[in-house]
This record gives sequence, C-alpha cells and structure tokens, in this order.
Amino acid sequence: MNTSVSITINGIAYERSIPIRMLLVDFIRYEAGLTGTHVGCTFEGACGACTVHLDGDAIKSCLVLAVQCDGRWITTVEGLAEGSELHPLQIAFNEHHALQCGYCTSGLLMTGVDLIEKDSELNEEKVRHGITGNLCRCAGYSNIVDAILSVARARTHEEEV
Amino acid sequence: MYPSPIEGYVAPTTVDEAVAAFARWGEETHYIAGGQSLMQAIKSRMVRPKCLVDLQKIDVIQGIHQEPASIRIGAMTRYCDIADSELLEGPFAALVDGAGHVGDRQVRHRGTIGGSLCWNYISACMPAVNLAIGSQLTLASLSGQTRAIDIEDFLGAPLETSRQEGELLLSVELPQIVGRAGSAYRKWSLMTDGLPVIGVGAFLQLDDVGSCSSARISVTGLESGPIRVLTAERALIGVSHSNTKGIEEALNDSSTSLDTHSDEEADAEYRRVLFRHLGRDVVTRAFMRALGNRE
Repeated sequence: MNTSVSITINGIAYERSIPIRMLLVDFIRYEAGLTGTHVGCTFEGACGACTVHLDGDAIKSCLVLAVQCDGRWITTVEGLAEGSELHPLQIAFNEHHALQCGYCTSGLLMTGVDLIEKDSELNEEKVRHGITGNLCRCAGYSNIVDAILSVARARTHEEEV
Repeated sequence: MYPSPIEGYVAPTTVDEAVAAFARWGEETHYIAGGQSLMQAIKSRMVRPKCLVDLQKIDVIQGIHQEPASIRIGAMTRYCDIADSELLEGPFAALVDGAGHVGDRQVRHRGTIGGSLCWNYISACMPAVNLAIGSQLTLASLSGQTRAIDIEDFLGAPLETSRQEGELLLSVELPQIVGRAGSAYRKWSLMTDGLPVIGVGAFLQLDDVGSCSSARISVTGLESGPIRVLTAERALIGVSHSNTKGIEEALNDSSTSLDTHSDEEADAEYRRVLFRHLGRDVVTRAFMRALGNRE
C-alpha cells in the first residue's frame, strides 16, 4: 500500500508516494538521493551509520518508517555544511584523523553534532557514553572522541570570550 | 531485515481516534510508540502488521506531570525526557537511572516508557524499575473505557502483559510518597548501555529514625520476566543505611532462592552474584537518596 508524504530534508520538501513499509533511511537514499546516510548493519539498528536528526534529535533512520516522518524535518550529513563551508565538526574530523574508511563517519558526525549542541559541558566520559550507538570498525574511537571534544571546547571558549 | 508489506498507517491525535482506528483495522493491527523494539520485530518479520496505529501525535499521553497528589508520566514519554527530568528525583530517581542507560542516545530519543512496559522484553529496564517503584498504569479499552492496574498485575512472562487486544496504555502514575523514600536502579550488560544480563531496582521508605520501613526489590533478566524479590524486601525492614552487614545479608540470603538460568551471556550462579552486587549498590543508593544525601 502506498501513501503520500512530504518530508523536509535539509530544508527541501520531498513529496512522494511511497510504500508504508519504506524505512526512513531508504527514503533518504533512494527518494531524496542523499547517499551520505549509510546502512552498515543491514537494518538491524546496531551500527548507527544511518543516524540523522529528526526535528533536531539524533535517531537511527533504519528504525523509523518514512511515513512516520511525514510533515517533519530531517537533517542528514549533507545538511551540516553551510554552502562550501564545512561544519566545525567535519573540519575537526579531518584535523584529528577521526576517519579511516569513512563508513561510520556520517553517523558519527550526526551523533557528535547532537552531543555538542545539547550539552555545553561535554567531557571525555560523556562523549564516549554518547557515541555508544555508533560503531567504528576501523576502531578510531580515540580520534573521534578527540575531534568531538575539540569542537565542544572551542565552543565553550567562544562563549567565555 | 525488511518489513513485510503494510496495508494501513494511521497517526491519530486523540486516544479515541487511536482505539477507533485499531477497532476498524482489526487483527494484526499494532500500536507503535517509539518503535525501537517493535521495528526490530517488524523488520525481522516476527511481527507482520496489517496496520500500524502511530501514537506519536497524541499529546495527552506525553510528558511528565506533577498532579495534586502524585506524578503522572504519559506513556509516550521518551527515555531522554525521563533521564533529564527534574521532577523525578529521590523517590523516583530509579527511573532516571534506568532511562539514562537504555540502548544508546539515538534509541533514547525515540523509545518510550509505555512502549517498553507493553513490550516487556525479557531484560528490559523499565518494567523492573516500575515494579520496584510500584507504579500504577491506566489503560483505555477499545470501547473507550479506562481502567487502572498495578504494575505487578500488568507484567507477565517476557513479552507478555495483561493488556487486552486493542487496549492502549495511557499513563504511568507514581505512588504518593509519605515521609522519606528513595529508589535506585542499576544493570550489568556485556556492552555499555546494552540489555542487562541482570538489572536490579530498589525502592525504600524510611521511618522516623531512618531505618527501612518498607522495601521493594525487583530484578530483570530472568526467564520468568521481571519479579519482586520478597525475601530481600522482608529482610531489609528495620535495617538502617549504615548497617552494611544487614544489607549484604538480605541480598545474599535472597539470592540463593533466585531462579536464574545459564546462557551464553552468564551462567546461573554468576547471575546470582550480579544480583547480590547490584542489589547492595542500589539499596545503598536508595538509602542515600531517601536521606537526601548527595551522591
């Protein structure tokens, strides 16, 4: 059975007729053509590579049906940069060598941004606890934690200045 | 891991519309709350819904509310909102302990207390936490009538509850507190924030001199589903927070009668060890919270 939805992704409304059983991650990848959001664990909800923001909260897009997001706002990794200017966390991932194969990166960026935006007092323990839903199989967690913390600290510093 | 075809999807904004939609679609209709467990079951095709009635737009079953006599938690309140709540301190801090460590950050942004109670997974945290606290649940039937039920009478064996076909869980009412009370919950999992191998909840009420006047101890991760450990509860009465030997004995003695099982995660004896260790910790923390001590 098909149904009509309008889902806003990175500020653009995508109006489509889709099967009810379509997962949000497939809507993002195949209907909107935004392939930065990855599927790492064949939809088991274990890897976090498909993490996106739904109305500002990090969620796994393989654990939600697209139809449930009708009328709502999604941000994917493609929506982090402003024009050609990368998000500070994207720059930090580069500087801290927080990616190797890059498969988990989009999900970790989305979880990382969620953490940075919601907690102004991040520390290593909070970051490590915060990214338990994202697997990195190159095992680059230390660098990923460093990258997230560097942006969080820069923000705190800016606020103090 | 992909859902079988689904014929209908309804996202009502009121409870009446939700039960009406369920009644209209009939068999193989499922309410979907946060969907963090149900979607797994749907994708593995253990559940093949004909229709999904999505509860996320029903405002009256969301949020944590201070009512005149007690606190009411809407069934669609998310883990992240419970974990961050300032209303749930001291007597009800076990809810914060539990909700703050369910799954991961993404799951806590979607998963709900009501969904967890209705699913009653073998080692879920919310059933055990509410069993310790002694919550009361309110449900709406297909005919629109509501009923209240104690958590004990609601929870059954794993994946079983006394919820009737089409009945909708509306809210979780926390007990009224007279005097000093404190609660705590802790689990042990193979992975950070994973499903508990064993989880233990404690809810203590204290008398005038600070000794335990009534205790509720719950455990999750057993094949029987979440249960209260009555022998531990009885043994804790009269014990004070400084009586570490008394606390230890209450948990050691009751652990021997605990019906634990062995599987690839832990053997039966290790589950008893976990119960004793986690139990000591949560009872001590519940005492501290009841006494108003900072952790």
